[in-house]
Amino acid sequence: MDKIFEIQTFENYLLIKLKGSCDFSNLKGFYDEVMNVLQYSRPHVIIDCENLESISKDWVRDLLRLHLFLKSNDKKLRFVQASAALKSNFKTLGIDDAFKTSGTLKEALIDFGLAARRSLDTEFINPFLDSTMNVLKVQAGVDAQAGKIYLKKPNEPLLGDVSGVIGIVSENFTGAVVISFPEATFLKVMSGMLGEEYLELNQDILDGAGEITNIIFGQAKVILNGKGYGIKTALPSVVHGKDHTVSSHDLMGQSVVVPFESNSGKFFVEICLSV
Amino acid sequence: MFNPNTPVLVVDDMSTMRKIVSKILRDLGFTNITEAADGNLAWEAISSAQAPIGLIISDWNMPNCTGLDLLRRVRADKSMGRIPFILVTAEAEQHQVAEAVKSGVDQYVVKPFSKDALQAKLEMVHKKYAA
Repeated sequence: MDKIFEIQTFENYLLIKLKGSCDFSNLKGFYDEVMNVLQYSRPHVIIDCENLESISKDWVRDLLRLHLFLKSNDKKLRFVQASAALKSNFKTLGIDDAFKTSGTLKEALIDFGLAARRSLDTEFINPFLDSTMNVLKVQAGVDAQAGKIYLKKPNEPLLGDVSGVIGIVSENFTGAVVISFPEATFLKVMSGMLGEEYLELNQDILDGAGEITNIIFGQAKVILNGKGYGIKTALPSVVHGKDHTVSSHDLMGQSVVVPFESNSGKFFVEICLSV
Repeated sequence: MFNPNTPVLVVDDMSTMRKIVSKILRDLGFTNITEAADGNLAWEAISSAQAPIGLIISDWNMPNCTGLDLLRRVRADKSMGRIPFILVTAEAEQHQVAEAVKSGVDQYVVKPFSKDALQAKLEMVHKKYAA
């Protein structure tokens, strides 16, 4: 049988993932195991409830013990990804003051002062850049290098002729990532991806910009969600034409552009974030 | 490896990705490849296929009917429940993989992928069903 809880230790916090139905039959050993970890250090503790289905009063009692222990050591207990039903349960039991909740792991870390508020920093941008290089290499045989990053004004035209756009949606922030290719670069990238030479744009290959964006987004999302960003799945779209823009709805807020040089020509990655 | 005449259904809302998967399959010798642009169209193709579909390779993240929806629909059907099924995804987060395995996927391929990566997954799936 799968273990009902999993303890992961990080530098400044302890993450406990609960899953399934936590009841008296599977409570044994939980508190001791957590205290065993806490005997060596006194970090904040985060309980991830994403896969938690229900929790019994026995578990609540042990978690209260844990809360009191942490409080006596000036540390905090925080529940993340708690369902509405769980939050309501805490309120009914009158323990919502002790069992505070945050939407995501990242938010809990921000509240604990262990992470910065979301911004277009290297932690956020680099997964997109690394993923861009990896995706183009594996899927199209393109070797690309990132150039010097710069800020861009909202609603400025994109720099390429064909762009894949995907919205970045989380509980507390929105944004977008855009991969914009000049036509000549795009044709070479598509030729590499599909294994046949394309000399002009056509409907058959235009959605390739969306697919590339989708894969880059997917890879970056896995890395960022591992850090608690809570980015949701999204579908890409494609815009094309000279001096095209992406709607201001998608690209509001701070925006950066990273120019890339590659053996198929230059292209641009634009990342926008609106907190 | 699968018999090259095995009818394969490739499902993806992006035509370029359907082309990529179909090209790899042709390079591997497959001759009977059908494409569908989402899970609903795939279900129609499976239901109306003259020769029963012997392998489904489906994207996960699609509008209308996702690859996971399609997988569950196939697995719930008496006559089609045992069709080998590979999911292709750009977002292999642990909980998603667990969900796919629980729903009866045979293998999943993470985008971006090479011909060798897809071939390796095909061989694993074939071995499983040949056993």
